[in-house]
Amino acid sequence: MQLSIQATGDHVKAISYLLSKNPNNLYERNHKGHLVRLFYSKFTDTEIDVTIFVSPDPIDLVKNNSNSYDITHYINDREFAVSSIFCSFIRSALGTALNGQPKEEHAMWVNHQFQFQFELGPVASSLSDQQIQDLFEPIGYEVMITRQEIHYSFHMKDESSARFISLKGMQTLQDGLRHLFILIPVIDNYKHYFIDEKEIEKLERYGEGWLENHPKRDYIYRQSLRFKELYDIVENKKTKVEQVEQVGKVRLNELRYEKIAATVSQMKPKTIVDFGSGEGKLSELLGFVEGVQEVLAVEPSQSATLKALRRFDKIKDRDKFIVPETLWGSLFYYDERLKGKDVIVLCEVIEHIDEGRLPKVMDTILDDYQPGALLITTPNRDYNEVYNMEDTLRHKDHRFEWTRAEYHKWCTERNHQKNYDLQFDGIGEEHDSHGFPTQMCVFIRKVN
Amino acid sequence: MQIQLPYAGIVLLIGPSNSGKSTLLRSMIEQEVILSSEVISSDDYRVLVSNNDFIDWSNRPRDEAANLMDEYSSISAEAFMMMDSVIEARCRLNKLTFVDATHLHSEDRKRYIGLARKNNIPIVAIVLDIPENELLLRDEQRDKPRGKKRIKQQYQTFKRERSFIKKEGYLSVYTIKGTDNLEFTRRNNSLEKDIQYGIDIIGDIHGCYDEMITLLDKLGYQKDKDSLYLHPEGRKFVSIGDVMSRGPESLKTMLFFYDHIQRDLAYMIDSNHGWKIARWLDGRDVTMNHGDEKVIDELSAYEAENGSEKAHETKQAIKGFLFQAPSHYVFTKNGVQTLICAHAGIKDDMIGKESETVSDFCRFGDTDGNDGKGKPIRKDWTINHQKNSTIVWGHDPKPRPLVINNTINIDQGVVFGGALTAFRYPEEEFVSVQAKQDYSGARDNPLEEWEKNRLNPPNLGKFITGYSVNTEELGEIKIHQDIVKPAIDTVSHFTIPIEQLIYIPPTMSPTPSPSSLDDYLEHPKEAIDYYRSQGIQTMVAEKKHMGSRGILFLFKDTESAIKHTSIESLGVIYSRTGKRFFDNETEKRIVLKINQELHAKGYFEKHNTDYLLLDAEIMPWNLKAKELISSQYAHVVENAILDRTKLIEKIEVAVGQNEELDVWLEEYNEKLNNAHVFNEVFQKYCWEIEDISSIQIAPFHVLAHSNQTFFTQPHTWHMEQNHEFARQSEIFVETEYKVITDEASEEDVINWWKDITSEGHEGIVIKPEHYIARNKGKLLQPAIKVRGRKYLNIIYGMDYLLPQNLKRLKDRNTGKKQKLALKEFALGIEGIQRYVQKESIERVHECVLGALALESDTVDPRL
Repeated sequence: MQLSIQATGDHVKAISYLLSKNPNNLYERNHKGHLVRLFYSKFTDTEIDVTIFVSPDPIDLVKNNSNSYDITHYINDREFAVSSIFCSFIRSALGTALNGQPKEEHAMWVNHQFQFQFELGPVASSLSDQQIQDLFEPIGYEVMITRQEIHYSFHMKDESSARFISLKGMQTLQDGLRHLFILIPVIDNYKHYFIDEKEIEKLERYGEGWLENHPKRDYIYRQSLRFKELYDIVENKKTKVEQVEQVGKVRLNELRYEKIAATVSQMKPKTIVDFGSGEGKLSELLGFVEGVQEVLAVEPSQSATLKALRRFDKIKDRDKFIVPETLWGSLFYYDERLKGKDVIVLCEVIEHIDEGRLPKVMDTILDDYQPGALLITTPNRDYNEVYNMEDTLRHKDHRFEWTRAEYHKWCTERNHQKNYDLQFDGIGEEHDSHGFPTQMCVFIRKVN
Repeated sequence: MQIQLPYAGIVLLIGPSNSGKSTLLRSMIEQEVILSSEVISSDDYRVLVSNNDFIDWSNRPRDEAANLMDEYSSISAEAFMMMDSVIEARCRLNKLTFVDATHLHSEDRKRYIGLARKNNIPIVAIVLDIPENELLLRDEQRDKPRGKKRIKQQYQTFKRERSFIKKEGYLSVYTIKGTDNLEFTRRNNSLEKDIQYGIDIIGDIHGCYDEMITLLDKLGYQKDKDSLYLHPEGRKFVSIGDVMSRGPESLKTMLFFYDHIQRDLAYMIDSNHGWKIARWLDGRDVTMNHGDEKVIDELSAYEAENGSEKAHETKQAIKGFLFQAPSHYVFTKNGVQTLICAHAGIKDDMIGKESETVSDFCRFGDTDGNDGKGKPIRKDWTINHQKNSTIVWGHDPKPRPLVINNTINIDQGVVFGGALTAFRYPEEEFVSVQAKQDYSGARDNPLEEWEKNRLNPPNLGKFITGYSVNTEELGEIKIHQDIVKPAIDTVSHFTIPIEQLIYIPPTMSPTPSPSSLDDYLEHPKEAIDYYRSQGIQTMVAEKKHMGSRGILFLFKDTESAIKHTSIESLGVIYSRTGKRFFDNETEKRIVLKINQELHAKGYFEKHNTDYLLLDAEIMPWNLKAKELISSQYAHVVENAILDRTKLIEKIEVAVGQNEELDVWLEEYNEKLNNAHVFNEVFQKYCWEIEDISSIQIAPFHVLAHSNQTFFTQPHTWHMEQNHEFARQSEIFVETEYKVITDEASEEDVINWWKDITSEGHEGIVIKPEHYIARNKGKLLQPAIKVRGRKYLNIIYGMDYLLPQNLKRLKDRNTGKKQKLALKEFALGIEGIQRYVQKESIERVHECVLGALALESDTVDPRL
């Protein structure tokens, strides 16, 4: 992690006063084992080049790091990349310049603009070169980004992910450093490192006079304060991506729950099992089925179960509502608590299971648990054409999606003991030739 | 009068005060018929709890008398409570106890009858019927007379109750008019037998006479001139019951046992079929089905041939001998109970006891109603066996002897076409004879049922709240609830199917202590020293390939796969976390290729196996880790090289002006060099993957064939197998190895390690000569890895060798890792053994899930 400050033109030697660093000496400070170092490689009347860099203690650096139980714990770009850590390390060394408070006799140079070239890096950033340029160009820099050639013995990546940035522009030293102290953390691939509280406070102070009118102002703010808003940002991004594919999906979900609840109601069950109940939306509806005495919401995920419990708790006092009981369970084990129930529901579950593992699961349900009825819903692949999806599946965890014919065949095969009558149905908006977006099969146990 | 005392149980003395109970018992103790500790007297317990054995309230004013009565009844209540708990403890421990109290009221007696029944021991009553005037006379003569009124009251009660006693449910009731001319006999425990010269316990024979004779031959019994089978060493054979029914020659087999038991050459215990036949012969109303009807046919034929008189005689003999068969036997070795034989099982608290409940349990096992098809639902009593004694049982046919929790099932269903098994004791060996055919004609053959149900989904309830696995190598391994759930979640979402996931390889610890050399973190010396200090002289050092751990479960053909996993495939390759290693298509191609290679070598035929289970390293590293390599290793080193190169450029420009900069330049030149080493090292384990011919697999353990495991083979054998696989193979590669026996070979291995690791190879693994190594009974680390100096760059960072870094990194603790390695090793072996023994997949999964759960616990992953 390094920053070179180069300047050309008249009076450049004054910069050493602004920095308050003697060009004849090496500067080295030990900051808890991390060495902050500075040296001049050029110092003439018209040209200076001063480099400040950090030789970190790699072990101390990862000491309190959240991935301490990760095999790559010690393999970390934080040792090298310019980041908020770098800024904290060098802040006190550059304090005089940053604050614009040299000795009085040099104060005249504080607001003097020099022809600067800042070189910094390596930069580990998910931003494109263009995005980096967009951050610096509006505030008066000419931006140059370089990478080293890579040669690997096998194909792995197209170009190096380590970049060096060079910024040329007429700036005062103080402004230049203020730009960097705000924008370095913005560019950096922020990974589980603290943002110094002071640094956040300083956002406004360092940004004074340029940040408010920066075209990327909002983005810079968001990135700078992401420590606080990390979760929100992650959430926002996610919903944006998924929303694109999910047009109409939310509605389909609701339709599905309603249809299942309606179908189940007609059977007048006393006991219902909702397998893969997730956050409990369907179980909640099933709790209102008339005459039902028990709803078992079976789900292996702890976090989903907690959400479900909160959901049930909110409405537990409603009239005629049976609070579903959450069970920790799995389709791949035998669970005697699920034996002999009136209805078992597998709503959008089977497509998340490798096809080869399903027959056994179905044997366990149909032959061992022997529910009065089993409802299974799954996407109808025929309908994907309506969505113009070609060969892609509706969810990245889907192991398959079946056409109506495939589903029909599969259900019939699962009923090899012929103990059930099968009824096929659909959910959602029906298409003339492609059917419903969701297909449903109800296995009804023959009286025997 | 002759009084028979049971071996253990309660003897209730019944009679009013002064009837002579205590006197009788005292004289028995004096005559050494019984021990004083066998007598529990209410008077003694009154003294124990209150210092008084009697309070006299006669001739007291009414209010005083009432309060004294209160006091006395409080004392009595406490005394009886103490007494009863001592009596019950003695019952549990199967001891004989005389209860010395009046027992005049039926509720008092019923309490003891209940106690005896609950503890499955007999209860005997000795009633002292002494005339009233005699009682009164004796009372006047005693120290603290009870008083006329009381004695008269007691006598009235006694007279009233006397006639009921006989029907209350005692094993026997002895009524005595006086204590003269009494003769007591005490029985030994007839269930207890010394093993003498050894015993051979034979599973359910079911009339398979020929197989039984073949088995006795095989066991070394010789037929004498009277057609009796004698063992030259004096061994005896023991039938676990059900010698008859279902099969072809029930009568002949029963008579064979009758003859041998008469001459004390063999033993036989009671069983469900035996008991039924006996009751039928006794003329009781029983339905002769489940193969019992064949016995009727045989007896009819016998009668036709030998006449009714002879037939009657034979039937009587058989009936008697079947009724006399004990519920179970307790065999002792040097006077200590070590082995129990019970037909269908036994509970620990029933061992050595006799009662109808015990007999029923031993005949039918732990049953819980019917399954709707008339078959009893069997509960698993074996899991509750806590004691160290071995219980041998039959009744429930299993394809192979099933050893669970110190219980051994030796019914291998000979009558269903399986095998007849003998368990030799104390040798603990199995000897078996295959059935010539399936004689039963049963529609639902239990052996086939077992096969069908073997792969049923495991019962969630057994695992969900945490559980223990009893392993052969490390005893009980506890799997805590907290780590079970994530493991079940993994199995539910990510792993290959449970039926294929039969083994999770153990983690491996690095050297227990870091290298004593200044510039090394790990060095072979510490691994070798560890094993030497544990008494291991011969070690095998194997080159450690750098790829990803993979388990290969390979089948001879798809039929074999269906047979063993119910899944149609030629095999499966999975990672150490149980996930499929390749995508489906690639896996299919690789497995097919291996299958062809193995067939070309005639591997499956040569070893007569349906499958092969291999522990291997699969290369290159980028096969599995490409994403990680790109985003971590390559990314980091690119940053490092860029950072360091740029700095060197700057410093070089300035270095002439300031000599102090020389030190920085030198430092950064070294660091840049470290970055280049790092860059070179990780690429060494990667190469372009064009197609499956780019993939290399180095197997290092042959774990199992369908008929055996290889944990008794030394690692040199496993390495020879590796070379055999690699011969003329396009996919298997050889692993170099060396054997350490002395200082010279140790030196040789260290030099070899230095050579290969300086080229960037990961390192070596040092293993004790034998797969399972112990020191003074303690299980040792199965392997220790020693990684090279260069390789460790990609673990501890590119500058880890700088003295200030290395010093801190050496301060690491491998203790937890080692403990985990042992547990996972034991679980791995246990699971495979069970799988090869064809135990249920639930029993195998118990081990696999355990290992997955242990792996979800946090340990420093860099170790």
